[in-house]
Amino acid sequence: MYSSIIRPNTWVAIRLPSGVTRNILVTPNATISLGKYGSFPANLIIERPYHVTFEIEDQRPDEKYSRIRIVPASELYAEIFADEESPDCSAPTVDAAKPVISAEDGVEFTLVDAESGKLVTRSSGEVIDENARQTLTQEEIEELKREGSNAGKDVIAKLMLSHTALDQKTSFSLAKYKLLKTKKYIRRFQILPVDVPNLAHWQLEERDASKILDLRAEMIALVGSWGNVHYGGDSVYLGDPMATCEQGEEALAPLQGDLLNGRWLVVDDTGGLLVAAIAERMGVLFPELDEDEDSLDEQARREKRERREAEKEAEDNQDGDVDMADADDPANRAIDGARPKKVRSSDFAIPYSQTNTITVVHSASQPSLPFLGYWDFDAVAPSHAEHPLCRHLMCLTWLQLLKPELDTAYSTPPLTASPELLGSWKPSRRGNFHRKRRRFARTRHVVEATRAGGFSGLVCASTMDPISILKHTLPLLAGGAPVSMYSPTLEPLAALADCFSVSRRTAWTSGTLPEMVAKTVEELERWEGSEQFPLNPTLLLGTSIQTSRARRWQVLPGRTHPLMTERGGTDGYVFTAWRAKPAAGKVAAKGKFKRRKLETGSAAESEAADTPKA
Amino acid sequence: MTSTLPQTVSPFLEPGPRTKPNSLAVLQLSRDNFVPVYLQQASGEHDGYVEGAVINTRYGSFPHSTLLNVPWGSQVRASKVDTGSRGRKRKWQLDEEAGRATSEPIEDEKETGNGAGEENGDGDEGKQLVTDTSGFIHVLPPTPEIWTTSLPHRTQVVYTPDASYILHRIRARPGSTLIEAGAGSGSFTHASARAVYNGSLVKGKRPGKVFSFEFHEERYHKMKKELSDHALDGIVQLTHRDVYKDGFLVDGKSPEADAVFLDLPAPWEALPLLSRQRPQLREGEAGEAGANPWVSPLHPKKSVFICTFSPCVEQVTRTVSTLRHLGWVDIEMVEIANRKLHTARDRVGLYLPVDRGVNSSAKDIEEAITKLTEIEERFRENARPKQPADGSEPAKVASKAATNGKTSVDEAALKYPWLDGRLVTRGEPEIKTHTSYLVFAVLPMVWTAEDEATALARYPIGNEKFVVSLMGKASMKEERREAMQQKQGNRKSRRKDRDEKLAEAEG
Repeated sequence: MYSSIIRPNTWVAIRLPSGVTRNILVTPNATISLGKYGSFPANLIIERPYHVTFEIEDQRPDEKYSRIRIVPASELYAEIFADEESPDCSAPTVDAAKPVISAEDGVEFTLVDAESGKLVTRSSGEVIDENARQTLTQEEIEELKREGSNAGKDVIAKLMLSHTALDQKTSFSLAKYKLLKTKKYIRRFQILPVDVPNLAHWQLEERDASKILDLRAEMIALVGSWGNVHYGGDSVYLGDPMATCEQGEEALAPLQGDLLNGRWLVVDDTGGLLVAAIAERMGVLFPELDEDEDSLDEQARREKRERREAEKEAEDNQDGDVDMADADDPANRAIDGARPKKVRSSDFAIPYSQTNTITVVHSASQPSLPFLGYWDFDAVAPSHAEHPLCRHLMCLTWLQLLKPELDTAYSTPPLTASPELLGSWKPSRRGNFHRKRRRFARTRHVVEATRAGGFSGLVCASTMDPISILKHTLPLLAGGAPVSMYSPTLEPLAALADCFSVSRRTAWTSGTLPEMVAKTVEELERWEGSEQFPLNPTLLLGTSIQTSRARRWQVLPGRTHPLMTERGGTDGYVFTAWRAKPAAGKVAAKGKFKRRKLETGSAAESEAADTPKA
Repeated sequence: MTSTLPQTVSPFLEPGPRTKPNSLAVLQLSRDNFVPVYLQQASGEHDGYVEGAVINTRYGSFPHSTLLNVPWGSQVRASKVDTGSRGRKRKWQLDEEAGRATSEPIEDEKETGNGAGEENGDGDEGKQLVTDTSGFIHVLPPTPEIWTTSLPHRTQVVYTPDASYILHRIRARPGSTLIEAGAGSGSFTHASARAVYNGSLVKGKRPGKVFSFEFHEERYHKMKKELSDHALDGIVQLTHRDVYKDGFLVDGKSPEADAVFLDLPAPWEALPLLSRQRPQLREGEAGEAGANPWVSPLHPKKSVFICTFSPCVEQVTRTVSTLRHLGWVDIEMVEIANRKLHTARDRVGLYLPVDRGVNSSAKDIEEAITKLTEIEERFRENARPKQPADGSEPAKVASKAATNGKTSVDEAALKYPWLDGRLVTRGEPEIKTHTSYLVFAVLPMVWTAEDEATALARYPIGNEKFVVSLMGKASMKEERREAMQQKQGNRKSRRKDRDEKLAEAEG
């Protein structure tokens, strides 16, 4: 969970009056410039709350910077409240001279396009041209802006006062005019945490939507929900095999199938946004924060920090060859919280948890998850500061998954060296030696664990053909595991759903197909695919395709209606299903034709529910 | 009731690899037909069945023993079960013990299932089960999605498209504390329990919790039982209460919620009780409440996200107005439209086998022309005056051969009907055009002058060293150009300036 206050050196989103959002790294002792809206010292927002609205104040004569203040909600909504109180609720009241400006709250006011303006002007022929009626010249406006007193409110008030056609405007168009000017000149902003909904919204609306395959919030929610993605159990770690540097791969910690739990398989072509959404649902996206740190007073907080630093120092001093006498028994499994003690782990120690993990299969040689950078995680960084994703995110290539023997990192045996030889090396060479061995152990573990299967779900948002993805991932899913695949367009998913059509399933279960002869259930589960049957049609249940769209509304006193325009482009679709474990051999389904009376409607259902009836 | 189920992690959260006795499983009968079942171990005769508990469906009978200890997702064939004689016997039994256990049939079932605990599952069935050809079902682990689909409609259900979006927007994540008022059918409760669940073993971690409130007493009891049956009662704390009047504190303590979901007919009545400060007293209420200190149900140090769920626009207007007056920001109203799509093979053609779903009209102009030509030919042939038999014979054979040839081409379609026709997608025959309006808002934490002073002391201002600009390169350039123009006029004058400067430098 992100911190409730803005911490230094974190990414935040700044929302401007125009509705534009910008992501920024909050660095102490910097000045943050909002362009035409002004600038202020970053230290003024550090350790302040999120979501409040700040206003840039006028520079005080003796200071070189502008201070900011928090705008109370009553001031934000002053104008709406005035509308509500006016007897005729349907007409907004705007007092041009009043320097109080309505909220910049983007959503409700985004409806300020010409079309709707026409609807409410008094006569159809009368179109108000703002520039023609504005008596202030551009230079004068600039002058006002530069003087810039009262957070831009004066500019707006003066603009309104010097508008000659103001009295000709209807109250609706007047409200709109004021809003337009407010959005342009008011010097307010809001700071939002960078979490998955905000980042996705920003990327979708203001950056390149195609980079995230047009993944809208509704779809992120649907994909995660139907993928049943949730916290997959408390972390469990494999014991450190305590391999010495002379030992090769025989010293690797064996995989323990029964420990693997709550793991999701992910194919992500959205630059890591999907992985972030999944990590958020699993509780491994945000660096762990001390829950109580916020509530502690200053004194306690400082003490805590000092203590932590002291511990770290002690750890550093202990460096070198720690004797491993007090190490855990290799068979012991460290449960989360009681993480490996202060003992340096051996090269073959597996850093990954066995539960609550995300396994990303990627098609390039490196995973492309740049968006995780907003949460201080870099999937390709060789050594990484502590982050929950370090222990819960595993990446491997399709080659490593399907033909590991062709992959160098997997198949090259680890380097070995005697302690004497190792001691004679330069530190850099020694570091390299250990790094390679660690990488080998990690790769081995990730590949073996993934190939062992038993995943709790598959979640995809990929540009690759979904049929080919499923061909190789279906055998890896546990029985009953959900499959949830997003595609910006419908056609690939329709083709996928067609592989599981009723006629295909019927033909398959009839057991008469020549391709199936003399194949065991296990072999059929790893069906290679034929022209007739690209996938084994009995491996998925309840295949379904759906799409969702959120329609946004403006809610204002007497002026409630849906927004006139929204983002178009691709709709986005989700394919959902559950992994089935088909019974061996031919399965007949003749139906039960006897008691016809009970077979219709609710009678049959309640009968099926096995509630003994009196 | 609770004691019959072992206190373990809910099957919704960690179902394990196989079905377990006394745990919830969902049987999928057909596409959208799900039946939730508490599987029981066979313990001799049950409910008149020799096989123990049995599920009867239109696809045949399924003794629980065939569904137990199988991997999730398993396809299970029906078994031959004697249902005929059991019905008669049952009736006779009931006559004898009339009045017993009729009011609570499920209770009765559980008691019988209880004894099964000590026995071993598969071995001791009353008789060897024989597979029936009547059909099969699949056993699925329960998920909030399946549970929502299989819900009997007790009240307005929050369906998955809405529930998933709401939970995403109100930031319900592992470790969150969520207030839900109007538990209703429990569909949202299950989804939110899954969202906030963050394990139990680790100490020092704040456990994710759902504080659920239900006013309707009958629904409350039903929900209570359901939650304990699903082993979710450790995560969901259900309270029977009128939240309009009595607020959201549990045992006088604040739940410290950071997310709120209100599925109430009048959210504006409950909103004042979700403030950070003492709400203004409503008319008719005496000042007696003033004696007790006000405890907010919200987390004091976090922004709180809210969603209200109301079907009518009028409700939304009032809710939004109240939210504004109470200081909530980022108020947004949305409506979710969800569509399900079915794929099918559209089979159109004159020469297709007569089958269900086949539209036997021409598939394209060419086919229409061919058919018309054929008819014309036949027509002409018939119209032709009768000639000696040896002359007409070959022509007829030829035309027949042509038709035969055409049908034989489509024999492939007959053999592989799943490859035939054009792949199309269609919406459902009936769609939900409106569920409810969702109003979202955020309540920032309170920031006092003291807080500000502390923060300012920790991060003093005045020694800024560099500028971080929000603007992109393009807009920064644009701005600089504007500023330049104001300072130095147009390009011409600037060039003049530059030339002068250059001249100076040279000179």
